[in-house]
Formats: sequence, C-alpha cells, structure tokens
Amino acid sequence: MAALSSNLLLLLLMSSLDWLSTPGNGFFMARHDVTSPAPPEPHITECISRDQATFQCWWSPGNFHNLSSPGALRLFYINSLASEWKECPKYVHPNRECFFDNNHTSIWIPYCMQLRGQNNVTYYNEEDCFRVENIVRPDPPVSLNWTLLNISPSGLNYDVMVNWEAPPSADVKTGWMRIEYEIQYRAGNTTKWDALEMQRQTQQTIFGLHVGKEYEVHIRCRMRSFVRFGEFSDPIFIQVISSKGSTFPLTLVLVFGITGVLILVMLIVSSQQRRLMMILLPPVPAPKIKGIDPELLKWHTIIHRRGPDKFQLENKGKLDDLNFSSTGGGLGGPPTYATDFYQDELWVEFIEVDAEDAGTGEKEDNQGSDTQRLLDVPQPISHHMNIGFSNAVSFPDSDSGRASCYDPDVPDQDTLMATLLPGQPEDGEVKTSPAPERLLIRTQTAGPQTWFNTDFYAQVSNVMPTGGVVLSPGQQLRIQESTSGTEEEPQQGKEHKGSEDSEEEKEKEEQFQLLVVDPEGGRQAAESNTPQMFAPPSSPIPGEGYQTILPQPAETEPAATAEDGQSPYILPDSPQSQVFARVADYTVVQELNSQHSLLLNPPPRQSPPACRPQHPLKALPSMPVGYITPDLLGSLSP
Amino acid sequence: MHLVSVMRRCVWAVLLWPNLLTSSVPLDCRQEQGGVSRCSSISQEKLLDRVIQHAELIYRVSEESCSLYEETFIPLPLQFQRNQAGYSCRTLPIPSSRSEVQQISDKWLLHSVLMLVQSWLEPLVYLQTSLDRYDAAPEVIINKTKWVSEKLISLEQGVVVLIKEMLDEGLLNLNHSEEALFQYDVQPEMVESVMKDYTLLSCFKKDAHKMEAFLKLLKCRQTEIYNCS
Repeated sequence: MAALSSNLLLLLLMSSLDWLSTPGNGFFMARHDVTSPAPPEPHITECISRDQATFQCWWSPGNFHNLSSPGALRLFYINSLASEWKECPKYVHPNRECFFDNNHTSIWIPYCMQLRGQNNVTYYNEEDCFRVENIVRPDPPVSLNWTLLNISPSGLNYDVMVNWEAPPSADVKTGWMRIEYEIQYRAGNTTKWDALEMQRQTQQTIFGLHVGKEYEVHIRCRMRSFVRFGEFSDPIFIQVISSKGSTFPLTLVLVFGITGVLILVMLIVSSQQRRLMMILLPPVPAPKIKGIDPELLKWHTIIHRRGPDKFQLENKGKLDDLNFSSTGGGLGGPPTYATDFYQDELWVEFIEVDAEDAGTGEKEDNQGSDTQRLLDVPQPISHHMNIGFSNAVSFPDSDSGRASCYDPDVPDQDTLMATLLPGQPEDGEVKTSPAPERLLIRTQTAGPQTWFNTDFYAQVSNVMPTGGVVLSPGQQLRIQESTSGTEEEPQQGKEHKGSEDSEEEKEKEEQFQLLVVDPEGGRQAAESNTPQMFAPPSSPIPGEGYQTILPQPAETEPAATAEDGQSPYILPDSPQSQVFARVADYTVVQELNSQHSLLLNPPPRQSPPACRPQHPLKALPSMPVGYITPDLLGSLSP
Repeated sequence: MHLVSVMRRCVWAVLLWPNLLTSSVPLDCRQEQGGVSRCSSISQEKLLDRVIQHAELIYRVSEESCSLYEETFIPLPLQFQRNQAGYSCRTLPIPSSRSEVQQISDKWLLHSVLMLVQSWLEPLVYLQTSLDRYDAAPEVIINKTKWVSEKLISLEQGVVVLIKEMLDEGLLNLNHSEEALFQYDVQPEMVESVMKDYTLLSCFKKDAHKMEAFLKLLKCRQTEIYNCS
C-alpha cells in the first residue's frame, strides 16, 4: 500500500513536471531538434540506449570549471518505479558518463536526470526526461560488403548488391528490437550522399552505377517506427573497371556512321536546293482581293436647278455606285442615315434660291406650285434662339398629325420640339404651360449653319426678292378658321411668355419670314443678331397663317433686336401684305440642282392624317428621309 | 519398381504425418482470430504468429496516428516525441525492464499482455468519441483509431485463446471492469481535450510497443532456437 501510494505520489510528481514549458536546454531538445547554445551551468549532454535494455548518460560541467573534476558532480535519476532520486549505478568518470545496466533500466517508463554538486546544489532541467525506447540509437550494421550483379550491354552501367548484418548489440533475433536500415552512397568526388529507401532486409541493390567511377557506400539503422538513427558505419568502396575493347569499336562505328549520314544529307540538300526550297517553303500567293480605295468613298452632293422650283440633288463620288440620283423618296447619299443629314444639311444650308426666279414667279408662286418650296432650313443658331410660334396651330405645320390633332392642353409640345431641335433649352425659356400657343424653341446649335425650324417641314409659299423664302402655314389656316377659340389661347399664352419673348412676339408677330441664307452668309447669319419671331395667331392678320423663321443669332439674347432689318438676310418687306395662298402642309425636297435650288414636288393635297393621340414629335424618328427638315439636320450636325 | 514407389510414398507419409496436423488451418480461422470456440483447430504456433502480427500492426498504426495527431494539433514545444518529459500514462503492475521480462514466466507474459490489451479497450472508445467532437479532425486519424479499436478486440480474443492453449487454463471470463475510467458526458475544453487525447495516443503507442515486445519474447521462448535471455 505504501509503495502504491508513493508510486502514486511519484506519478503525480512526474505528471506535474512542467512539460508545457518552452523548449529548454535539455539534451533531448538541444541535440536533436533545437540548436541552442550550451547552457553555462552543469547539464546532461546526452543519453543513449543502444539495445533498448541499457543506456548511458553523459554530462558536462558547463562553465563551472571548478566542478570538472571527477566526483564533483553526481548524477541522480528518478522514474515512476522509484520513490526517490537515486544515484547513478555506475560511473565512468573519464567520460563523465553514467551507465545504466539491465537491472536499472526499465523500458516504457519515464526517467528524469539530475546533476548535483557539492552542498546539494542541484542542477535540474525538466527537459531531461525520457523513455528508454525513445532514446534508442542502434549501433551501425556490420559486415558491409557488395557483389556485382550485372553489367549493362553497353558496358557503361552496372548493378551492385550490398549486404550487411544487424548490429550485434541489437537483439533482432528475438524480436526485441525491430530495425530498419538506410544505405547512402556517393560518387567518389562528390560531397552529396544519395539515400536509398529504408530497408528491413539485410541486403539492398544499387542500380545504375557507372563503370569506371569509384563509389563510397555506408549504412545506418534505427528502430522501426522510431525517429533516431544510429551512427553511420565505416564506408566501403565500389568500383568496376571496364574492359576497353568492348566499347571502343562501338563508339567508332557510331561516330563514323553519323558522320556519313550527315554528309549524305548535306549532299542531297545542296544538289536539290531549289526543289527542296519549293517543297519546304512554298511561295505565298499574293492577295487577290482588291480592297476598297478610301478615295473612292468620298462623295459630294451637287444641287442642280432644273427649273424655278425644281432642284436636283446629285451625289457624286468617285464610284458611280455611290452616285445616287435623287428621285422621289429622298436624297441619296451615303448609306448611313446620319450622314445623310450631314450632307443634306450642308446643302440645304447653302441652298441659294435664285433671285430672278424668285422674283419672276413671285406673285404666281404665292399661290402654288411655282413657289419655291423649300423645307425649312436651319438657321445659324446661337445659343438661344427663340422662335416663337404664335400658335401651335398656326404652325405651317406640315407635320402630319400635329396640326389637326392640336390639343391646347398638350403641355409638352414645346419641350418636345425643343428636344427635336438641336440642343436643349437652357434658360428655361421654353414654356410648357402656354405651350400650345407659343412654342418657343430654343436650340443650341453646335453648327453655325443650323437652321432653326419651327416645324418638321413647312411649305414655301413664296420667295422674296432678297432671297427670303416665305413659308406658308397651310394647314394652319384651316385650323384657325375652324377653331376660333384656339386663337384666344395663343393670345393668352402670349401673355405667359417670357419677357423677352413677349417683346419680340408683339413686334414680330406679323412678320414671318423664312430666310434663306447664302452659304457664305450662313455663318454670318449665325452671329447676326436677329430677333426671334413668334407667330401669334393670325387673327390680326387674317389669312396670314404663315410663319417666318428668322435665322437666329448666336447670341442668346433674343430680345436683342426687334427689327429684323439688322440682319442683312432678313425680312423682305411687308410680309404682312402678302397673303399667301395655302399650300400643302408639307413638301418634299426632291432635288437640289447645282445652283443651290431645291426642287420640290407639288405637295399632294391631303388631309391631315388621323389625329394620333401620341405626340407627333414622338413620331419623328419614323419619318422618312425625304421629310427631314433642316433643323433636324442641324440637330444632327456635329 | 512398384513396390519401391509404394514404399517411398509410405515413408513420405510417415515422415510428413506431424505436419499434416500442424499445418492444417480450417477456413474458419483463416481470417480472424476471434471466435474462441471455432478456431480451436489452428495451431498454436500459427496463432501466436498471428497474434504477433496483430500487435505489430496495431503498434504501427498507433504510431502513425499519434504522429499525425501531433502534426495536426500539437504545437512544436508541446510535442512529446521531442520532449520526453514524464506524462501520466497509466502504469500497470507488469514488468517493464528487459531483465524483468526475461525473468518472468510465459504465463506472466501472456497475462501481462492481456492486461495491457484490456486496459486499453475502454480508453480507445473514449478516444473515438472525443475525436468525433472535433470540428476538423482528419479522417485518417478517426479511421485509424477506429481500426485500432477493432483490432485490439480481436487481439484480446487471440490472447485469450493463446492462454487457453498454451497455459491450459480455462476460458477466461472476458468481463471487463465495470468502473468507468472516463466520463463521457462531460465535454472538456478544447485545449484540455486535445492534450488529453494526445496523451492517450502517446501512451497507447508506448503500450502497443510493449505488447509487441512481450509477444515477441514469448515467441522466442516458444521456438527455443535462440537463447532468449
């Protein structure tokens, strides 16, 4: 019982040992795992067992040289079987070694070591605890030798069988220790050893050694499934010397054969050089597709004037394919729709109506077909170009749906018109509420040549001697006659106009003129300070349902000049007196001739299309090409 | 001629007569060592060989799983393989030095082995449940532990049969101590649990090595070829 309790106490002691401490200087850690400097105090250097039945421990006095004399330091040990520290059973003082024999060695139980000096000074390291099976390092195997197995047919390599015996100290016969072996070999002049796989048998084959080289082989062993190896054995040397006769002719034959083959190949290549080149590197055929010459893609539009009111547009390019002659259906041009606008816009801007023709046919043209009808040309527009329209109704609005579908309560017309036109109103001069009456259209034109358009298209009812073209409202008259009430609203709407707008509209309400500006002058017109014109309802001017669109100046101030006369391009005289007959709501510019004249087809008399609930502006994108108005072109100008 | 050949055959039969008995292995006992009653026809030598093979294999697998566990869960400073400070393994009253082992009898050897085996049956079950509680225990460790637990049971059965065969003792009652060494319902903290499991694995590895050594010594004694001193 006492023994048991003491054993338990000891067990507790052992288990309470601080095995959670950091790696210290115990020989276990220091030697094998952590290279730490030797501690200065006396310490256990190493403990090793060779046969798992006995073991030895070595110590060192460290820096305490006074303790280096034999007997100054004493070794004590303890294990779970002992109840107290016991002294080393056998000292080997010259080696500072303590030897534990069979009777004092217990396997599978922990041992701890301690050094004690004089006066019971204790040097103890908790790391110096171990189990005997874990400190086993077997002796190196003995009787290492080798035998030649075979030589390769080329005579360059050979295989060797190495065999040995287990160390005598390790009891493998009874199975007390299970040992595995590791062979390492190297060529005579290298420093790096090649290790073979662990071997449990006492023999191993080394393959692929080179004839003529000297090899060094040594072996070591360890307990199976354990970590620590024993020492290496003494090396043995292996060398096989080749018999020169066998290899010499073979190499000669090889060398000569390869040389001959090479010479033959060179001869063939040099004699058949051309043919070989043809076979190996066939010529690359030249491309057979002619690309399109970019020069050919350039084209321009020519407007030919065929008559007083006939214009012919001709697109001419390097390629005849691109030369679309304009017929009903619109202007030809580059395939892209947008480019159409560019080209047409340019031409439309620079359309010059021949004054002679205009003058001669002035009177007659008022009424009908002789009038040069031009689409509304975009005016050179400054930032804010206010073109007011007296009435949405009063627009010579050839837009198919809008006039008849005029709804005074539609608030968005002006905004929609604004969106139609290039740029957006910035100053908020577009009025939404009085929109039905006054449609202020403000545009910012990037291009100076943009003609501002009050409408998608208008009918030219007359051409002024100065070159101005008068648009006729057409549809507007009709609607005005039918709905007198709507006239009121424009008037009211007029009140709501912005201050700047109202001025002009009062002044200009009766003057509507479309100015056709010369190409040269177009730009100037852009900067000219032309006032805005609004078209109030035509009540003060009966029958005057036409509008005139003035080229807007670049300046934003619409109220700059009420008088159109400032613009050199503006205002033929007394537009009011000219009552122009109604003309068709819209017309199509069919052709432009070289004289910058537009050729318009007689507009078909057609009733306005059915009133569409949707806003006509929304239908804009679906308009055919022929009906694109200059302002649209202007909106598309870069 | 005929007579000579017949005579030759008879001589061979007489000479090989003992081998017929010793080398006969019924199908039942080829796979498994268990089944005390069924495997009575296996030879003692072969049974001992098989038991030793079991012990070797158990030791190897336990060593692998202990190393794997150490690599996975234990930081370097705490690894027992490097720092062999004493840790609490359950020690049984069995000899632990070679000299003692050499001195004890076969009976004591076998009983020691049996004691060892039986002492580990329950802790291995506990170890399995503990490993199952881990979040990310490698499959390998869990499988190895399970395998070892199973093989240990069959090892126990083999040793019991050996005892019966070699020592001519009656069939031992295979009832194990009822006292539970471990508490299964209490779940300790993770760190504590890890250290406990690590200790269990290391101690089991040590004891498996011990079992193997004892059985090998026993075999050596049985063959009596070498001087097993």
